[in-house]
Amino acid sequence: MREGAPPGFLRATGAVLLKDLTLEWRTLDALSAMGLFSLVVMVVFSFAFDRSLQQQIGSARLVPGVLWVTIAFASIVGLTRSFHLEHHRDSITALALAPVDRAAIFAGKAGANLAQVLVLEAVLLPLSAVLFDFDLVAVGAEMLLLVVLHTVALVEIGTLFAAIAARLGRGEALLATLLLPASTPVFLSAVLSTHHVLAGEGLAPARRWLLVTAGLDVLYFFVAMLTFEFVLDE
Amino acid sequence: MPSARPSRLPAVTILLVTTVAPLMVGALYLIFQYAPEERVMGAVQRIFYFHVPSAMVAFASTFVLLLGSVGFLWTGRRGFDYLAIAATELAFVFCTLVIVTGPIWAKPAWGTWWTWEAKLTTTLVLWLLLAASMMVRGQADNREQGARFGAILGVVAALDVPVIYKAVDWWRGQHPVVFRPGAGSSALDPRMRTAFLVAMGTFFVLYTVLLLLRYRVAAVEDRVRDLDERLA
Repeated sequence: MREGAPPGFLRATGAVLLKDLTLEWRTLDALSAMGLFSLVVMVVFSFAFDRSLQQQIGSARLVPGVLWVTIAFASIVGLTRSFHLEHHRDSITALALAPVDRAAIFAGKAGANLAQVLVLEAVLLPLSAVLFDFDLVAVGAEMLLLVVLHTVALVEIGTLFAAIAARLGRGEALLATLLLPASTPVFLSAVLSTHHVLAGEGLAPARRWLLVTAGLDVLYFFVAMLTFEFVLDE
Repeated sequence: MPSARPSRLPAVTILLVTTVAPLMVGALYLIFQYAPEERVMGAVQRIFYFHVPSAMVAFASTFVLLLGSVGFLWTGRRGFDYLAIAATELAFVFCTLVIVTGPIWAKPAWGTWWTWEAKLTTTLVLWLLLAASMMVRGQADNREQGARFGAILGVVAALDVPVIYKAVDWWRGQHPVVFRPGAGSSALDPRMRTAFLVAMGTFFVLYTVLLLLRYRVAAVEDRVRDLDERLA
């Protein structure tokens, strides 16, 4: 980087991303909260749907709903923490004053959140395979693709809303109120695609859902990139 | 002086207000007296003359919300924010009407209050998004912040609505459809059509009146806040 010149978009994105991941790596604050929370939710679900009911309706019908509800709630817990520190130390003003494109701050934040939620899902999926008895190895590749595709959309819109909730000094409740209705299409798509994959039908029947979600990934990305600077305005 | 004192109501508003009152009476007459009773559904069918126009107005208002939000974020002019405030609240009101009138009709006609059909679900999700948007505006530290956040949520809500509709439509499409509303309605009685079109027109005039008035109220509120700050 030239002396005195402000960093470019990618460099700024990388800096924010690295900062958030370093903080998370040192404290494991968000991951431990998300991990424990989702474990509790999973266990509650496994009580709610007892063994006989599980066998009756089958894991292909049961697991998608359980899995994505858990992911939704756990991401809300994680995303709320995303701007927590900035809000409390008011370093969000410093971030806003940085001579970089504010969209880069969003991209870095969203990237760090995406990494955290993906790590959570990497734990959650095997766990749900154990608790709800389905063969994860057989459908591993398809699951990987659909989980990443849907998580991207969820995290993009979630990061934007988390910033708003943090700016207002509100926590999970406001974020949930904003995020859950707005991401309805993402969850519908996620649940149905997961169902097809777990039922052994592969991704082919869910093709148009995956296309829509890929479209949402792009749409939410641009909407968030364009509007994020207004969240940081003072 | 930042702006001129808000004067009396503009002529167009007065004209619209004086138009909408007789229009509403006329529409009520057409709906309850002129239009014939639907043979299968009976009297409850008449709720459609309120339900469908409310839904149209609610979604039109969401479009106005998109215009106001994008306009505000783009130009920063407060007028667009007043438009966004008015459109959010009115979309919310008409969505509420849709959600209330829908089940009243659905219970006798379909035998159930609610079904997770695309139009119903989309309206409910839109209602939730609008409520969240009003909540965010209410919780903002100052009006500038509320306007920005409201506009962001307005953009997201308005862009999301078509996607939600399509998604729920497909989602339901995979299940057997027990009820099919409006099947075989092609042979609409001309009197019903007249009543329906007049009701639709009346709702849109009413919406325009309310939008203009709410816009003015938002402008006056803003001015009061400005004066308050200068006095403080």
